[in-house]
Amino acid sequence: MIHVHELTKHYSDLRRGQFVALGGISFHARPGTVYGLLGPNGAGKTTALRILSTVLQPTSGTATINGYDVVVQAGQVRRQIGFMSANTAVYDRMTGWEMVEYFGRLHGIPRPELTERMEKLFERLKMNDCRDLLGAKMSTGMKQKVSVARAVVHDPPVLIFDEATAGLDVLVARALLNTVAELRDQGKCIVFSTHIMREAEKLCDRVAIVHRGQILAEGTLEELRDRHHQRDLEELFFQLISQHEAACGFASVL
Amino acid sequence: MTLGNVKLILGREIRDQLRDRRTLFMIAVLPILLYPLLGISMLQVSQFMQEQATRVLVVGANHLAARPPLFENGQFATRLFGDPSGARLLELHFVSAEPPTPGAAPADLRMEADAEVAAGHFEAALYFPPDFARRLEAFRAAVRRQAQGRAGGRAGDEPAVRLAVPSPEIVHSTANEKSELAFARLSGVLQRWSEQIGEDNLVQSGVSRIAARPFLVGSADVADPKHRGASFWARILPVLLLLWTLTGAFYPAIDLCAGEKERGTLETLLCSPAERSEIVVGKLLTIMLFSILTVVLNLLSMGITGWMLMSQMPGLGLPPPVAIVALAIAVVPMAALFSTLCLALAAFARSTKEGQYYLMPLLCITLPLVMLPMSPGVDLNLGNSLIPVTGVVLLLRSVLEGNYWQAIQFTPVVSMVTLIACLLSIRWAVEQFNSESVLFRESERLNLGLWLQRLWSHRQPTPTVAAATCCGTLILVAHFFLSVSAAPMEGLGGFVRAVLTTQLAVIAAPALLMTLLLTRSLRQTLLLKRPPWLAVPAAALLAVALHPVSNVLQSLVQHLYHVNENLRPALEKVQAMFHQADFWTLVLVIAIVPALCEELAFRGFILSGFRHLGHKWRAIVFTSLLFGMTHGVVQQSLLACLLGMVLGFLAVQTGSILPGMVFHVVHNTLAVSNARIMPEMVPHAPALRTFVTPLDGGGCGFTWPVAVVGLLAAVLLLMWFGRLRGPKSPEEELTEAIERGESQQLSLVPKEAACGLAGDR
Repeated sequence: MIHVHELTKHYSDLRRGQFVALGGISFHARPGTVYGLLGPNGAGKTTALRILSTVLQPTSGTATINGYDVVVQAGQVRRQIGFMSANTAVYDRMTGWEMVEYFGRLHGIPRPELTERMEKLFERLKMNDCRDLLGAKMSTGMKQKVSVARAVVHDPPVLIFDEATAGLDVLVARALLNTVAELRDQGKCIVFSTHIMREAEKLCDRVAIVHRGQILAEGTLEELRDRHHQRDLEELFFQLISQHEAACGFASVL
Repeated sequence: MTLGNVKLILGREIRDQLRDRRTLFMIAVLPILLYPLLGISMLQVSQFMQEQATRVLVVGANHLAARPPLFENGQFATRLFGDPSGARLLELHFVSAEPPTPGAAPADLRMEADAEVAAGHFEAALYFPPDFARRLEAFRAAVRRQAQGRAGGRAGDEPAVRLAVPSPEIVHSTANEKSELAFARLSGVLQRWSEQIGEDNLVQSGVSRIAARPFLVGSADVADPKHRGASFWARILPVLLLLWTLTGAFYPAIDLCAGEKERGTLETLLCSPAERSEIVVGKLLTIMLFSILTVVLNLLSMGITGWMLMSQMPGLGLPPPVAIVALAIAVVPMAALFSTLCLALAAFARSTKEGQYYLMPLLCITLPLVMLPMSPGVDLNLGNSLIPVTGVVLLLRSVLEGNYWQAIQFTPVVSMVTLIACLLSIRWAVEQFNSESVLFRESERLNLGLWLQRLWSHRQPTPTVAAATCCGTLILVAHFFLSVSAAPMEGLGGFVRAVLTTQLAVIAAPALLMTLLLTRSLRQTLLLKRPPWLAVPAAALLAVALHPVSNVLQSLVQHLYHVNENLRPALEKVQAMFHQADFWTLVLVIAIVPALCEELAFRGFILSGFRHLGHKWRAIVFTSLLFGMTHGVVQQSLLACLLGMVLGFLAVQTGSILPGMVFHVVHNTLAVSNARIMPEMVPHAPALRTFVTPLDGGGCGFTWPVAVVGLLAAVLLLMWFGRLRGPKSPEEELTEAIERGESQQLSLVPKEAACGLAGDR
């Protein structure tokens, strides 16, 4: 479903020179699974997912989603995905219903079908309270729900969540994780980036631990635990990153 | 691009703007309140202005004769004013001319008057020299005696002409507006007084008063009553139109682009299936709508206020109804143009704050285009109608002035120019939305040392777009300063020196220096490669084929944009000099040196840099625009621009600088020999007359058939060049890949097949 091959992204930055945000990452994600990108802040998760959502162009490498190339078939790729990140905000001067309806229409869903689908969606996500509320007046949790509804309204085969739980309280975060799990059970291919180990443990079928634009380890949680002889994911994560830091000669950030 | 998505985006943006209180206030509430308020304050100010009297110090008026009176009851005599109430507006303070102490010199009083006016105690002073009254009386008496003597049959003993009357002086200050008003009033009064004295003199000499004014000048206004006051409106409405459309477009544009970036909703929209062009067009239409709405509301509000005030302000008619219609039509292209410009700028801005900084540069660029038609003598003609904005304003003006026929003639040209300008701006805006560096720009602290270091350590084989722009700007600026500061050239030696300095120091040196400093590969940047062997003779042939065409175009351009009369003598001097100069010297200076220097700079460094833009034609066009601009005179620039396109095309297609250089040398040599040799040949070979005609300005013009044949040959040659495959920049490869990808997408490849393809990769 998602094939990422040797994806790199360089930025030119005055202070850091040619800054490598992604140093050639490759992974595959299959339908009906949640693929976790685990990494500290600044690891390159957002860059990778922005490339998948066609908003950024890679410096080299290829990525295909449902068979479409993210660079040369960007338009088709955007029809295949629902993208939600900390940067995809909700319109201030639109109500929850209007916002979701707008994106549904942009995806070309006929109006009667859209209304029916949205009614169900609003019911399922329990967001009838923000139905007629302007974005500016919504709480963070409501905004997050609207964003989820916006991302899934066109029933895309691929869903990308970039640190979607950042800044949410336990209740809302839990509800969001449940929604993601439901979507997985419906057969969606999901990429989920986070820096919270508990979420990864709960949700992800496979994870890639990303640091400084590199994938340090990749596999199912069990595989990782066995390979590195560490049952605790957080310890495992910490260990891998420290080793990488030491190997690269960086002063430890941890 | 699908209409449905555009409509969706448009609908959303309109709703969004209507829910924004700031925008609503700027667009709807402000104009409705502004004009009535302005009207009220104008009324009050105008009343205040009318009432204002000016203080005048009158020095030495005590001995003036009683007839005809200059003063009455401490004021100027009422009969000296056209409007009897005018006397009240000059408040007089009298000072005696007699020195308070018998010893003081009379000149002191004059200096005192100067000091009083300079200090601002009085707006003006009227100074009569001490013996003015006596000498005036003596003059009048002499005139009287002369007349009586003539009547008595004997010659006057004292000719009046010899008696000079010293002038009274008005002391005023041009730095003070009120003082100028007082000056104008005083001069009027004294002028009329002097006329009355003259008439009195005539009467006393037995001549009728009418002799001084044998006739009055009458006048007739043939303007249609509907068009009275049209010229006022023709001047003011276009400026107002510009301001309204611009402000109406600017604030929504900032909110819709920079604002969305700031609020984080732009990324939401960008990862939706809406295409960039759909987003741009949707937003553009919204901005345009609000721009037009601003104009309409402003116009309505101003119209209603003006209509109510009109009774208070005589001499100013409402604009004719036709003007309103013309305005309504002109609003659409103006709004379209400004909306696209605002949109592109706003898309570039990182935040609303940054966006607002761009209003000033935008005004600086567009105001001259609106001001140009205001300057006297600028009329609607083909040349002016080709300038964006200016053309629309001139067209609007000629409709307002009632020249409908002229307006209809130029409408197609103006619409075409405006349409092209709009399309280009839309392209630019779409470009902004496609550029990730614009969408995800982050502010960075500038450190000059680090920056220079990086510039050096991160050199690429060919220059960046920024380096190319920088080089072009540098050449333009240096060229400008050189042409302004250079001494007028003296003879051929001066001309040769001027050309060599420009070519070597201003054009070639920056490009070569920047190539060495900013790129890794001299060869790749300056295209120092061997071209396909046929390309060189083909380029020479192309220059020959294009010579008649460029000749015809040159005369066409000169016909459109007349050479400034002030420049003509200088041009003629240059032409005369060419005739005397040695032919091969001219070829060296005009053909060979520029071909080497300009090609290295423009088709070498600058074109190589612009090729990173991702499209070869964009690179060619930008390079030739810069190339054209270095050619000083507008008439020359236009042609240079077109030739620059051909040169750029040759460089891109062959991947070598050589064909361009050959073309350039041949083209310029032909131009030199046309001016020198052809006119001399024509008398010897009468058969030539079927092809060329000697021009009175020197040189030969080609007949149309020759130009057409040349053009056909040139097109064939260019098509041959078009089949060559020169090296491409990585960006161009990518653009082409995307274009191929898009077309694949349009042909709707089944998903499985696409998967298979992707799997093979």
